[in-house]
Order: sequence, then structure tokens, then C-alpha cells
Amino acid sequence: MGRYAARRLLQALLTLLLVIGLLHVLTTFTVQLNDSPARAFFGDRSPTASQLAAVEARYNLDDPCYDQVGNPCVGPFVERLGQYARGDFGEDFRGRAVTELVAVSAPNTLRLFAVVTITWLIMGLLLGSVAARYRGRAADHSIRFTSILIDAFPVFVMLLVYKYVVAVPVGTWMRDRFGSDSFLGLLFKPSFDSSYPWTTVIIPGILLGATGSAAFIRLVRASQLENYGADHVRAAKAKGMSSKRLIIFHILRNSSIPVATAVGFVFAEALSGAVITEGIMNIHGMGGLLWNSVRESVTPVVVGVVTLLAILVLVVNIVVDFAYAALDPRIRYG
Amino acid sequence: MAETMVTALRENTPADVPPGRSVWSEAFHSLRRRPSVVIAMLVAVLFVIVAAFPRLFTSADPGRCDIGRAKIKPQWFGGEHPFGTDLFGCDYYAQTIYGARPSLVLAFVVVGCSVLIGLTLGSLAGYYLGAVDAVISRLLEVFLVVPFLLAALLVLSMFRGVDLGNSQFMALLPPAIVLAMFGWISYTRYVRASTLETKNFQFVLAAKALGASDRRIIFRHILPNSIAPVTALIPTSIGGIIATEAVLSFLGIGVRPPAISWGIMIANGAEWARGGYPHLLLFPLGCLVATILAFVVLGDALRDALDPKLR
Amino acid sequence: MRRARFLAIAAVATLAMAACGGDSDDSPEGGESPDGNEEVTGGTVRLSMGDPGTLLPQDSNTFDNIRILDVLFSGLVRYDVETTEPYNYVAESITSDDNTTWTIKIKEGWTFHNGEPVDAAAFARAWNYAAYGPNAMANNYFFERIVGYDEMQAPDESSEPEAEELSGLRVVDDLTLEVELYEPFGSFAALLGYTGFYPMAQECLDDIEACATNPIGNGPFQADGSWQPEIGLTVTRWEDYLGDEQPTFESVEWTSYLGDDVSWPDFLAGDIDASEPPPAEWEAAMNDPELSERVISQNGTALTYLGFPQYDEKFTDVNLRRAFALAIDMETIVDTIVPGRYVAADSWVVPGGVPGGEAGTCEYCRFDPEEAERLLEEAGGWPAGDVLTITYGADPTSEAIFKAIGDQLKQNLGIDYQLDPTEDFFSRRSERDFAGGVFRNNWFPDYPLNENYLAPIYGNGPDGNHFAYHNADFEAKLADGDRASTLEEAVTHYQEAERILAEDLPTIPLTWTQSTTFYSDRLDNVVLNPFSGAIELRKLTVNS
Repeated sequence: MGRYAARRLLQALLTLLLVIGLLHVLTTFTVQLNDSPARAFFGDRSPTASQLAAVEARYNLDDPCYDQVGNPCVGPFVERLGQYARGDFGEDFRGRAVTELVAVSAPNTLRLFAVVTITWLIMGLLLGSVAARYRGRAADHSIRFTSILIDAFPVFVMLLVYKYVVAVPVGTWMRDRFGSDSFLGLLFKPSFDSSYPWTTVIIPGILLGATGSAAFIRLVRASQLENYGADHVRAAKAKGMSSKRLIIFHILRNSSIPVATAVGFVFAEALSGAVITEGIMNIHGMGGLLWNSVRESVTPVVVGVVTLLAILVLVVNIVVDFAYAALDPRIRYG
Repeated sequence: MAETMVTALRENTPADVPPGRSVWSEAFHSLRRRPSVVIAMLVAVLFVIVAAFPRLFTSADPGRCDIGRAKIKPQWFGGEHPFGTDLFGCDYYAQTIYGARPSLVLAFVVVGCSVLIGLTLGSLAGYYLGAVDAVISRLLEVFLVVPFLLAALLVLSMFRGVDLGNSQFMALLPPAIVLAMFGWISYTRYVRASTLETKNFQFVLAAKALGASDRRIIFRHILPNSIAPVTALIPTSIGGIIATEAVLSFLGIGVRPPAISWGIMIANGAEWARGGYPHLLLFPLGCLVATILAFVVLGDALRDALDPKLR
Repeated sequence: MRRARFLAIAAVATLAMAACGGDSDDSPEGGESPDGNEEVTGGTVRLSMGDPGTLLPQDSNTFDNIRILDVLFSGLVRYDVETTEPYNYVAESITSDDNTTWTIKIKEGWTFHNGEPVDAAAFARAWNYAAYGPNAMANNYFFERIVGYDEMQAPDESSEPEAEELSGLRVVDDLTLEVELYEPFGSFAALLGYTGFYPMAQECLDDIEACATNPIGNGPFQADGSWQPEIGLTVTRWEDYLGDEQPTFESVEWTSYLGDDVSWPDFLAGDIDASEPPPAEWEAAMNDPELSERVISQNGTALTYLGFPQYDEKFTDVNLRRAFALAIDMETIVDTIVPGRYVAADSWVVPGGVPGGEAGTCEYCRFDPEEAERLLEEAGGWPAGDVLTITYGADPTSEAIFKAIGDQLKQNLGIDYQLDPTEDFFSRRSERDFAGGVFRNNWFPDYPLNENYLAPIYGNGPDGNHFAYHNADFEAKLADGDRASTLEEAVTHYQEAERILAEDLPTIPLTWTQSTTFYSDRLDNVVLNPFSGAIELRKLTVNS
């Protein structure tokens, strides 16, 4: 177990280094191939060389390597690695530390992810189990068809239709009926409200979760079908175990392994959905932070935040790997 | 390398391979009997024909737009504008027809590239293991860790300052590169897994004992066995890429106007639908959903049919 | 930094200033009431805000920060909302004998929210900070008229400026400032109400970064905690405010919105008090009897225009340029795509907004496709198979407008086009990298005179503008205007110059900006600021 853990950690560190390297190269080339972001500062006016230099210095873009296309800017890269090793993740153009930016925006995104994950799990385990249980029958077909249909629907269309068509009339009705500070009155607010961070994130989370749930339904269904055919389940059935107990103790438990893995892997992917959801629902979170930073070429934020995220995803993956051992007695690490 | 592999694949169509034969023909037979699969197939073929030969379906020029005739409601067949016109006064039926091409071309190009990369890296990693596997696995992990849209935006913003000319293909190139960058991951993982499995089959071990070269073993024995799981994945990912194109357009970093794609139409239509012009959303969205649905149903059915455990 | 709406000084000021050569003693006092205990009847006004980037006045030049700072700070002068005329506010008097050396007397007793005095030193502190090149303040260039400015800019990228303070700015006593300009400038006093000239507390200078999110002002409202980019900003009534315009409501709550147009449903749901509908909702909003009752609209002064690169031979024939102008139905485009945000333009100088501005000077800015086709033929037609590139700085609204313009050229002149939303717009334009196509330009006037819409853009000879435009007569008219002894005479000469421009058509005026705001029934006395287009919060009343 110890050796396995050490190897897994080393691999994760290597991945992390590659991620930082890749981001560094991409952001550097973007600055090199395009105009200096400092120029946007002047709008329609043409700055003098010294004015431009002053703004570039303010934005930490004054290393000469940013003017040479193709130069990988190794100097700033090594400098950055040193900073990261000391726990310093840089700051944005306004002098706010990246860690502070993350500390402000992460909670909202985590709330969103919590709702999304719960939606996934509920829809996946519930509908997937039903589909597997009634395999080949009408319930199975309609669940699979509906899940594909939801999946095919672009998430932004769902959100826009909700926000502009559903939220205003429903929200107004709810408020008139239950009062503007009641749970139902707040639930249907057209935008996120930082005073009620949990209530107003529920519906966006469910919508985002629903669009991604098809994969989970499929996954749960497939893994349960496999389990229904497995020897130990057949044996239990032969012994006369009730089908309710059977599903709960054998089928559900075993199918939770692939689901746990999937939750770990789709984490990064869910952040893509978060960009759209946060933008439309006005949730100030990591997705929006990253999106704006890339658009405005705030390199330190882009690299810093993704590095923090990468660490998180890697940790989650390692935890999931170890969780295998707990969930599946067949897996043992030597 | 890629080229030799394509030739190799062609020489080894699955039907020639003894272990694959029964799986494929049985799969085909079971699929043919399912009405949902037949319908999905018809829909998919229809949209592929639309994309390939838009002129068969409309004589109107989708790029001819008269702002004076903007936002006309659908007049259905018989009227000048069966689907009405959009915000710019473009014929919406012609737009919908011509919009199929970028979406589908992008999907096919990206999936093609992803499959090639996946087959190459996956079989190399699975066959040689060791250092090769270690490198490829790290690469896989890197792309699993970086959020897709962020990488898309980063790469696409690199192309901002690059003049790509105005051909339709070049307009698709940046999104194609980005999508392929993330498309190969699942293929590589599947191929690697199936290679690991096949490697220990008796006939492979026998071929190895007889002194067959690594290349020969990979092309004649390993790859053909990976074809089944990969094939099952293809329709689903075609559907996924069509959907992703729409998202990229919505965010303003996908295919750009005046090029037409369902993604652009949906992104603009979603805004105007709520302003009293739902047809601007429903026509392209209907086509998009129908196409994705068709490909995903095909993919699901194919997976069921090719996976003996689920049959 | 963001694609915010940049507001230049804004046509602040009327020409009255420039005309009478700068004695503003006689300006209206604005009904000051030092005891000013007007009744507070209203609670909180809830508004939306974008990302202002900073709230440091010296660094603020966008819609979002200017309108917020307008209630947190009070400048030396303020501008009458109706006539836009400047009147002394924190200044007791602003006088000059020669329009070069100005004496500014400051009213006694004013303090910042933290208790520091608003004195001559507070202004000198702010102006020196803004004028110092390496500080890279957005409003740096406003100080270029003051003696000593040049020494405060670094001569090249690697060296330091010679001076750290404006030598032409002298603190005479606690309440008197003396300013020496490089050249006579009659409208100097009219500049002084602009954001960049607001005073700065010592506490702010000691920690500029903190001050950029938690401003220490001297206005009727004070910041209630820092501005948080993710949440917003709340400002509350300042009990000790000395000036007139005592607010009649308790506080303003600005909520941050990430994207454009996303606040409209919140307005409909009653969560905020004012908003502008996205173009798609415009029709529904205007047709709603209740909503359309509470809408206010005002034309702005910023021009969007289409430039021809005359360094490309294709565009040297004036008839081709005229054909382009005639082929574009700008009015329909605006009404269809961006209602309420722009109005179609048919002149280069904003009509009615500045002296000498009149509508209809661009005789080809009308829609006449037949005439367009005829003129194109006369010009020898468009090269077959050539694709026209339309370049603009990237933002989604522009894209829709320029796609529509391209569609018009394609439909009426048979010219195929492609769109090029470039992030490098400004440097490419300076490098004259737009051969083969037309390009979008915006102009925000710096001062209110028709000359400001003409000379900086088309003057300076064939190499001095982005369009390679040159006409000796045009420049002669500008020079005549510069030499004129009275303002009226100057304005007339500049108008003649505009008429030459109309003949040569180096650019096509497309749109003027327009601000439209829908507001809730809680608000009363809603007036828009003539420069920023934002709701004038000092005038607003709130129903309880």
C-alpha cells in the first residue's frame, strides 16, 4: 500500500508539472501572437512607448521574451514554479492574490457542484437502477430515450429558457403567494443572489446536473446489468433474498464504484458547464473567473487557478483510487 | 505513420478477421430488427445527405439577407420563406439546410482525428507498457485535469491574431483542433484497455512465439480487436461534438458569422425566441437534437450489440 | 481594461466657457443649502453594475466607475443636468486673466468621509499622482496641458521621469491653487468636474490599492465597505455632507453582473430598480403598457463610423465610397438589431450636442440602392471574386451590426464579405493593416466643439490619420478655424471643413450612441446624466 501510494503521488506531481507547463506555453504564445493586453488600456488613443511600458510593467508583461514569438519564456516559468512551491500563486492586475480570488469564488462553484453532483447521483442511481431492473421494457426504453434527449439539449438553451421564460412569472407568483423571503419565493429568482447563496443555486444546479446525467444513467444501468448477471447475485437470488435487499446490498453497492470514479473524472468537465451556468445565472464563481481571465489575458490568474484546480482534481482522483479498496473487497494494493 | 495505419486498417476490415466476424454479423442482425435503430439510421443518413448536398433541398442562397424583411414568421412550404427569416432577413430554411454542413463536417473531422490518435496511442501504450505507457498516461491525465472550455478559449484566442483566410474549411480549423485535442482521450483509454486484454490471448501469444514483428502483431491482431469498442463510441461522440459546437458558438469562440452553423443559429435564436420569435430557436434546435439523438441511439445500440455481456 | 464603454471627458462643458474666455464667477450657484436637511423619505435604490475595474478616480474612465464615483465624490465644478453648463461646486471661484495661469479658490469647511480636509493639497496630491507617467493612470492624459507634465513622463522605456510633481501646479495657501498651462486654454475650468480631477485624501495616497476598492470621497454618499467585484458595492447617505443635493434616500446598492443584458429578468422580477432590455426583449418591453410608461432615453455623443483604407487603391474612387454609403440602410439595421442603444447617424459631428453640430451633413448617408449600384458602376465596379473584409474590435453587438452591414453590401452591391473581429484592432489600425476591407471606428469627444470630431481624426496630413485621407482644402478650413478670433467664426470654418468631408467621404458615419433605461415604480424624478447616460442619483427620489 505504501509503495503504491508513493508511486501514485509521484505520478500526480508529474501531471501537475505538465499541466503548468502546458498552460504556460499556451498563455505565453497567446500574448506573443496577439497584441499586448496593455494596449486595450488606452482604448482609442495611441499611447507613447513609455506610457505603454508603464502599463505593461503594471501588468507584469515587461519581460522581453513576451515580444519574441516562439520563445517559450523559460525564465518566467521557472520563476513561477519557485513561487508556487512557496505557496505564492501570484496576483491579478489589480494586485489581488490568486488564492484570495479563489477563496471568494470557489464557494459558489462548490455549491453549484454539490447540487449538480446530487442531481447526477439521484438521477443516475434512480433512473439507472430502474432501467436496469426493467431492462428491455417500456420503462427502460423511455428512461434511456429521455436521458439522451436531455443530453442532446444544449445546456445554455435550457438555462436561457428557464431564466427568461419560466423564472419571472413563476417567481412572481411564488412570492405573491408565499412571501418574498420564503424558500419558494427565493428559489425561482432569475439570478443568483449572494445573500441567499444556497437557495438561489438549486435550480441552476439541477438544470446543469440534468444535462450531464445521461452519462450517469447509462453508466449505472450498464454496471448494474453486469452485476445482475454476476455469480454472487445469482447465488443470493437462489437463496431467496428479496429483490429489494438484493438491489440495495449487492447491486447498488457494487455499481457505486464506477459512479464514484466518474464523479472524480467529470469534475474538470463540470467546470466547463459552470462557465455557461455562472455566466447566465450571474453566479460569481470559478468558471466566470477563469473565463474572464482568459479573455483579458490575465495570465497569472489563468495559470494559478488551473494549477489549484489540477491539484484538487488529482487529489480527488487519488482519493477515489483508494476508495476502491474500501468499496470493492476484490481490490487490494500490495 | 498515420497513413500506414489507415492502409493497414483498410486491409484489415473487421470482416476479414476471424475473431471479429461473428460479433459483427450478429450485431448487424440484431440491430436490423430494432425499429429505433432503423429510424435513427434514416435520420442520420438524411442529415448527412443534407450536409453533403444542400442544393438538393433548397435553391435559396443562405447568405442573401435583406434586413428590410427581417423576422418574418414561418410561411411553411408554399411561401417564399418556409421557415420565415431571421434577425438579418436571411431565409431561415436555407440557413438551416446549409447550417448542417459545418456541424457535421466538424464532427466527422474531429472524430476521425480522435480515432486515429486514440488507436495509435492506445495500442502503443497497451502493447509496450513501461515508459511508453507512463508518458501516454500522464498525457491523458493532463487533459483530464484541464477544463475543456478553458483550453478551448486559450487555444482559440491564440488564433485571434492569425489570418486563416476565408475558406469554409479554414473557418472550421481552430474549433476542430480544439475539439480533437480533447476527443482522443476516451478512444485512447478504450483502445489501451482492449489491447491489454487482447495481448494475452492465445493467438497473439502464438504469433509472438512464432517471431512475428511487433508491428505485424499490432496491425493484424491487436487493432482489429479494438475496432469494436471504438466503433461503438463513434456515433455518441459525433453527437457530443455537434452539441459542443453549439456551446462554443454561444460563447462566441466557435464557427464565426457570416459562416452558418446550427450552433450560431441556436445561440442567436435562443435570445430571440423569448422575444416572440420561437421559430428562430426551434428549427435549428430541432435539427440539432434530432441529429444528436440519431447518432447517440445508434451508438447505444451498437454498444449493446457489440458487447456480448449485455446482450 | 474590459470592453467597457469608455467615456472620455465627455463633452463636458459647454462652449460658453471656451467662448467667454474663462471667468466662471458668474456661474449659477446651484441653490446651495449648507444646512440642507432635506427629508429622507426613501430606502434603498438597487441597481446593476458591471466590472468597473477600479474605483480610484484618477484611474477611472468607464461608464461603470464614473457613475459610481459621481455620488462618492464632488468635484470643483459640476455640470447642470439640463444645460450641461459647468458651475462651481467645491470651487469658490476659478479665474484667469490670460487663460494660461488659473487661480482656483476652494470653499472652506469641506472634508473627506474620513475627516481629512478637502483643501488645495488634496487636489494637488491627486493631480500629481495622476500625471506621473509610471503610475499608468487612465486619466493621465488630462493633465498634459499643465506645465511640468512632460517632465513627469518617462522619456523612454528604461528610464525614470525627471520630475515627480507638476511644476505648473502650486499650492498658494490652504484653499488656493494656482495652475499654469503650457498654452492658453479657455475651457480649462470646464474640465475640472471630470473624474480625473477629483481630490485625493492622504489616507488614500498611503494605500492606493485599498483606496481603489474602498474610495474615500467627499460626496453625498460614502462607501459602505469595499467594492467586491463578485458581489457589488453599497453606498449610504453621508450625514455630514456640506453641499447641496442632499440625497433623499438612504442608500444605493449596486449588484455585480458578469455578462451584458443578464439583469433584465431581475428587473422584471422586481429585484433591481432599473435596467435596459436586451435587443430581443425590446419589442415586448415597449409594447408592455406598464413598462413603457417608465422609460427614459437620451442620445449620446459617441460616433461609430466605417473607415475606408485609402492606402488601398480599391477605395480611392469617391464614387465607390458613396456607393457603399448609399447601399447601407442604417436606420432599419438599428431599429431591427439594436433598438434603444444607437440611432442612425447622418453627420460627423453630433447634432445639437456641440456647437456647430447639425444633422444631415452627410448627404450620402441615406438608403438608395439604385443610386448605389449606379455609382459603383461609375467607379468601375468591385473586383470580381474579391471578398471584402469588415474589421472591428471584438464584441458581440458589433458583430450583429456589421454582419447586417455586410449583408446590405452583398445584397445591394453584390459584394461578398467576411467579418474579422480582431483583438488587435488598435495596433493594426495604426500600422495600416486594413487593406482590402473597411473597418469600424469609435470616437468619444474630448471636449465639446465640432472641431474635436474633425481635426484629431482627419487632420495631420495623409500620414497622420488612419484612412490615408488628405485634402488641402479641408486642412485649410481647419487652420482658418484655429486662427479665428471668435468662437462663432471658428465654428463656421469647422462646419465648412465638415462639408468638404461630406464630399470626400473618407468614412461613413453609422450610429450615435443612445442610453435607454427602464425603471421601477419605486423611482421618481429619473433624469439621465448627459455625459454618462446613467441615472442622475443626486436628483433621484425613491417612493417608500
